[in-house]
Amino acid sequence: AQALASSQESKRKNWIKLIYNSDLTPEEILHGETKDTDEEDVDDFFTIKRKSDVSETEVLDMGKEAYEEGELEKWEDEELLESIRGLFITGQDAG
Amino acid sequence: MSSSLLTFSGHQYLRQRLVLSILSGKHIRIDKIRPEDKNPGLRDYEISLLRLLERVTNGTIIEISVTGTALLLRPGVISGGTVVHECPLTRSVGYFLEPVIMLAPFSKKPLNLTLTGITTDENDLSVDLLRTVTLSHLQLFGISDGLELRIKKRGAAPGGGGEVQFLCPIVKQVKTLNFVEPGKIKRIRGISHAVRVNPQFSNRMIEAARSILNRYIPDIYLYSDVYKGEESGKSPGYALSILAESTTGAIHCAEAISQAGVAPEDIGLKATRALLSEINRGGCVDRRHQTLILLMMVLGSEDVGRCRMSEPTAKTIQFLRDVQSFFGTSFKVVQADPSDPESSQLVYSCYGTGYVNANRTLA
Repeated sequence: AQALASSQESKRKNWIKLIYNSDLTPEEILHGETKDTDEEDVDDFFTIKRKSDVSETEVLDMGKEAYEEGELEKWEDEELLESIRGLFITGQDAG
Repeated sequence: MSSSLLTFSGHQYLRQRLVLSILSGKHIRIDKIRPEDKNPGLRDYEISLLRLLERVTNGTIIEISVTGTALLLRPGVISGGTVVHECPLTRSVGYFLEPVIMLAPFSKKPLNLTLTGITTDENDLSVDLLRTVTLSHLQLFGISDGLELRIKKRGAAPGGGGEVQFLCPIVKQVKTLNFVEPGKIKRIRGISHAVRVNPQFSNRMIEAARSILNRYIPDIYLYSDVYKGEESGKSPGYALSILAESTTGAIHCAEAISQAGVAPEDIGLKATRALLSEINRGGCVDRRHQTLILLMMVLGSEDVGRCRMSEPTAKTIQFLRDVQSFFGTSFKVVQADPSDPESSQLVYSCYGTGYVNANRTLA
């Protein structure tokens, strides 16, 4: 029951609090595990973050957001293609 | 005001901070610009952007430290007028246009800016999307008459050779936005272009895109834009830029650009899948335009502006924080459909600052 509650919580982020009243970086807000990771994971996470801060890879100030891995490939699936029909005017289901 | 100096660190989010500084008149100091890098300091395109901003404004003072790892900006007034700027080939013209588009409506004189360089690349919005999507978003705020982006020559990476002309009218104030109905997608438009390669590539991308999209709606028009000779730039390249418009005028867009060893069909499919991904995210505003919309909402008249969008991107989160530093405005961000657990869409609202274009020449 607790797991369910916390997953519910992570889905419904309190954006105002995260944006204005936290020290998390934007990347941590979007990708970081906030609630249900245990201490060890949190430690690991922060170490990696620090390493990548000084790594050679440059984070470009880009106008276009990169797509997450697999985000485009999933659209090869016929069922998914059908599932968004309701977003078009020809779709029957008023979603 | 002595308290008007703001300090930031790092090279990230440079463009939005420069824009906010110039609009708010607050001085900024940015330090720790790539201090650990083996090639520390500002990049050539960042210096180029600073020079461009210097030229569209009057009285701006930019000081860069010897190592290039720190800069100080004392913004002047946005002057506009006719400006020609050569963009370095390290970034496309989109990198330079995105911040300029945010400033231009508040110029003293209408801006007539000519930029040369790369017109389409992987990192920034291509001139096609800027023309069809970004400018449409400005129209939501009453910036429309005489707003135009002309693509005179195309220029693919790495050689560039493209040329665009951006014309922007000036406004006294921007309208308050109230855009919470995403509507349903009623039409799809696209621009497919191929320069210095077989012109058939353009049609092959369109065919591939249609193979997915034809199932949804009949109103699909994908245009093959042909540029020849001098107008096609110095390097070969092709791309498909595609957008979907809803019944309420919400626009979502995506694009894919030629890669070595990838067939045009796959580029067409990639652009199309990216578009479906954006449509599926929903909201009234495209993800790439969140910051532009939020900025114009902050500058809007003294009333509550509201807009429904998908979850913020990293850039948007930082932008919201920076807006608070520069203008003192905080947004309210709440679930758009609290009853629907599947929906992640949010409604962003804020009280406009009633920003008035004081640079505008009274006529």
